[in-house]
Amino acid sequence: MRRRLVLCSVAAALAFSAGAAALAGTARTAADPGVTPTSILLGGTVPLSGVAAAYSSVAVGANAYFKYVNAKGGVNGRRIDYTYLDDQYNPANTVQLTRKLVEQDKVFAIFNTLGTEPNLAIRPYLNQLKVPQLFAASGDTSFGADAAQYPYTIGFQPSYQAEGWILGRYMRQSHPHAKIAVIAQDDSYGRDLLLGFKRGLVGGSAKVIAAQNYEVTASDVSSQIARLKASGADTLAIFATPQFAIQSYVYASKLGWKPFVLTNAVSSASNIMVLASEGGTNKTVNGSVSVVFLKDPTDPRWSKDPAIVLYRSIMAKYAKGANVKDVYNVYGMAVAYATVDLLKRLGKNPTRAGLVAATDSMNITDDPFLLPGIVIKTGPKDHFPINQVYFQQWVNGGWKQFGSLVTYKSQ
Amino acid sequence: MGSPMLGTMGSPVSDFLQQVVSGLASGGIYASLALALVLIHRATGVINFAQGEMATFSTYLLWTLTANHGWPYWPAVGFTLAVSFVGGFGVYEMVIRPVEKGSVLRVVIVTIGLLLLFNGLTTWIWGGSQQSLHSPFPTRTIDVGGVAISVLDLGTIGVSIGVVIVLWLFFQFTKVGLAMRAAATNPAESRLVGVRVSSMLGLGWGLAAVLGAIAGALAAPSLASLDPNLMQATLIYAFAAAVLGGIDSPAGAVVGGLLLGVGLNLLGVYVGFIGADLRLPAALAVILVVLLVRPGGIFRRRVVSRV
Amino acid sequence: MRRVAGPLALFAALAVAVVVAPAFLSDFQAQEAAYVAVYAVALIGLNVLTGYTGQISLGHGAFMAVGGYTTAILMVDHGVRDVWTIPVAAVVAGAAGYLFGLPALRLSGLYLALATFAIAVATPSVIRKFEGFTGGESGKNLFGLPQLTAGTTPVHVLGRQLNYNNWLYYLCWTVAFVVYVVGWLMLRGRTGRALRAVRDSETAALSSGVSLARYKTLAFGVSAAYAGVAGSLYTIANASIYPDTFPVQLSIFLLVGVVVSGLGSLAGLVAGAVFIEFLPIWAQDISKSQGAPSVIYGAILIAVMFVLPTGVAGMARRVATFARGRYDRRAPGTD
Repeated sequence: MRRRLVLCSVAAALAFSAGAAALAGTARTAADPGVTPTSILLGGTVPLSGVAAAYSSVAVGANAYFKYVNAKGGVNGRRIDYTYLDDQYNPANTVQLTRKLVEQDKVFAIFNTLGTEPNLAIRPYLNQLKVPQLFAASGDTSFGADAAQYPYTIGFQPSYQAEGWILGRYMRQSHPHAKIAVIAQDDSYGRDLLLGFKRGLVGGSAKVIAAQNYEVTASDVSSQIARLKASGADTLAIFATPQFAIQSYVYASKLGWKPFVLTNAVSSASNIMVLASEGGTNKTVNGSVSVVFLKDPTDPRWSKDPAIVLYRSIMAKYAKGANVKDVYNVYGMAVAYATVDLLKRLGKNPTRAGLVAATDSMNITDDPFLLPGIVIKTGPKDHFPINQVYFQQWVNGGWKQFGSLVTYKSQ
Repeated sequence: MGSPMLGTMGSPVSDFLQQVVSGLASGGIYASLALALVLIHRATGVINFAQGEMATFSTYLLWTLTANHGWPYWPAVGFTLAVSFVGGFGVYEMVIRPVEKGSVLRVVIVTIGLLLLFNGLTTWIWGGSQQSLHSPFPTRTIDVGGVAISVLDLGTIGVSIGVVIVLWLFFQFTKVGLAMRAAATNPAESRLVGVRVSSMLGLGWGLAAVLGAIAGALAAPSLASLDPNLMQATLIYAFAAAVLGGIDSPAGAVVGGLLLGVGLNLLGVYVGFIGADLRLPAALAVILVVLLVRPGGIFRRRVVSRV
Repeated sequence: MRRVAGPLALFAALAVAVVVAPAFLSDFQAQEAAYVAVYAVALIGLNVLTGYTGQISLGHGAFMAVGGYTTAILMVDHGVRDVWTIPVAAVVAGAAGYLFGLPALRLSGLYLALATFAIAVATPSVIRKFEGFTGGESGKNLFGLPQLTAGTTPVHVLGRQLNYNNWLYYLCWTVAFVVYVVGWLMLRGRTGRALRAVRDSETAALSSGVSLARYKTLAFGVSAAYAGVAGSLYTIANASIYPDTFPVQLSIFLLVGVVVSGLGSLAGLVAGAVFIEFLPIWAQDISKSQGAPSVIYGAILIAVMFVLPTGVAGMARRVATFARGRYDRRAPGTD
């Protein structure tokens, strides 16, 4: 009996110390959090697995770019170390992993964390601890709009409301009598796009006459497309993620419906459009209009462009095995380029407060991975780094830019 | 920029029929995966939570052969079905057989483990982006009185019905089929008459894997793209279909799937509260209600448990 | 008295270890240990359901969500202090569990697993749908609220000043010990024997006069109440709650944790909780390629089912009986 008790106690103690030993992390000994004489540590979370895994390339592209910069000497003599962890798009994991990055790994800043819910979950914590939440990878408008309350947080891409507004304004001006049907994902992404879109339509006669949404866990949207067709609309606005954007095109074509289509930036990558065109047989994609701010690596326009050539060489060297056609890698490089620019401005002694001050006064005109003319700019009244896009239209199996640079001014 | 074609407003009747038709199409996909679930349950008494992920894995195999290695479509299908059969059999032998005599709990955990394993494998080998899989049927659409019916959807339903017929013939009229039925219902006595029970059970898993591969090969073109999450939502709907139709009945799986597809569509359209965002919970409700009210489903088979 | 001495000493040893540990752990490690306690609470409850009455639930994440949202709504919308929401969460989740337990009586084994699996998958959608209540996708944020103890300023407890991480640690482990003692008291004697009888043979239990319905639904209610407490603590620890906070993987991992623990002693359950908390991190350390962690989880789950069919506690027991030299036929949980 006593032997049993001893054995059980030993087992329990072993279990507990195994746990404690497992907890022992590798703490960085540094003067400032994340900054050593030779390195700056950035950390973040992305969904490497799970339903949103397709977007995790934003981390891969950024990481490859940092390695490239490090190989050329880094920034002010320091290399940039970027560590990213898999939160599986679960905000509870984001919270725990972010706290690990901040409290155990002692990162300089949280960078490029992907997703709206994940970023919302860590925002109050990071702002309270005065850790920069740099370039949150989400178009949710609140990351720019709530700057007064959360000064340490900033997004990067054009906000979904801005994008929606731009598309709405385009419809008001170019298709003034359109009857528009909308399919939108049932979350803040879809809702922000629709909200901005409706605001952009104000003052004109083009109207949204039908709207359908779908849950993120849906398997297909055939029912919704059928209802939208039944509304008699002549235009379809797709505020949906790639998988469902493809389905919207395919089902519309199946039903014999050939509306004029607007699609959103997240789903407008060329490889997605090609899938939707079903090898060229689906004519619904023709004439689609979208907005774009990044250089798409599958776009023949940029095949000889120095930035895309550089992109390919960096990916080949520092991200072997990654899918070079994936535009999210380009996003990662675009945001990494901006980060390097910021860190350079901080000089020899980077501080977190200095980083935040620098993000509030950005004026980067030469990010090569963004379309020509697009500027990353922030100021006292503008906490949205990118407010500009180009229109493009899908013709002959490829995107063709038209019109001039469009700038969004918040209402 | 050509002028857009004006949407033609159909009559309420043709709108209704369109919802029914697209519901039948979705239902055909649920039915094809449900068939695999039913087969495994009938043959081995196990609910295979990993069925969807195994089917996705097979589908990716088909995709990579045709898209990356230039195989022609039908030989690739044959090869994929063969590999799936061997794979299903192998999974049974290596992973299920050792634990199936133990508690139900162990078997459930093992199939959950398989779910995670296959899902991870698919993403690890082939990545997470959208791909496109060639369709076994032409992608033409036929217009019948304002209602669009696609040949692929007809083909999916047709294949599901065909599988039911083939399974029925197999179980009723072939020696192997008979042996499988015996092994499932009465393993002890089947051994006495010389049936190699464990081989029969493995055969059941192999066949189910083949059915899963067929389901995936139909689902990917129907759902317009292929990614590792292909069967995640469909798995729940397939469970609902199998439960609704009777978890031991292949015919029930097909009927259940079609009913479910149409029912969910109509509920979504005509019952405002449910709309599109409660589709999954609605399927869940179907599972719960059927299990509670008429556990055997529509085509139930009475099983008496002896004390 | 002898039967109690062994486990009592073990319990005391563990209690001492828990009280003393923060001196050896960093702030962040204390926080991680707090999460271990949270999972342990859920596992203690699930152990009552699965270990004692043999009912399989793949949906306990949903009961955690009920408890978590109870806490969040009370704190954010009604200004209630975090600790006082915990018992409320227990009651609400327990009621939900009891209500589910009533129809669940008619489901057994695999079908119950299937039904609870479907609930777990549907939970985020249902949370999103009732967004007037739950805040939908924007979730609820607790950080910075005065109701969140030690959230902004350290709290004074028993003469010591505790910052947020250490406060979390002590809160979660205190709750864990309290609920364990409550559970232990409840499972001694008649209730425990009746529950075990239900697991071992429903027919025998019936014929010896045990009301199946009562004990099976009781087990569901109790395990759901525990999950509600765990969900409440989880929400307090995360300082936030969103529909995706309770995905189906959580429910799966809870069941896995309870099976790994061997459906038995507290030490086993703590080991199971350690497993849940650290496996995702260890898996990522092994490989960061996309999909690799899932492969690792799956492989480990299957391997554990092969190698440790009676879990960690079963292994410890087998080691003990081997050392003693004879085969012990006592049912798990009677240490």
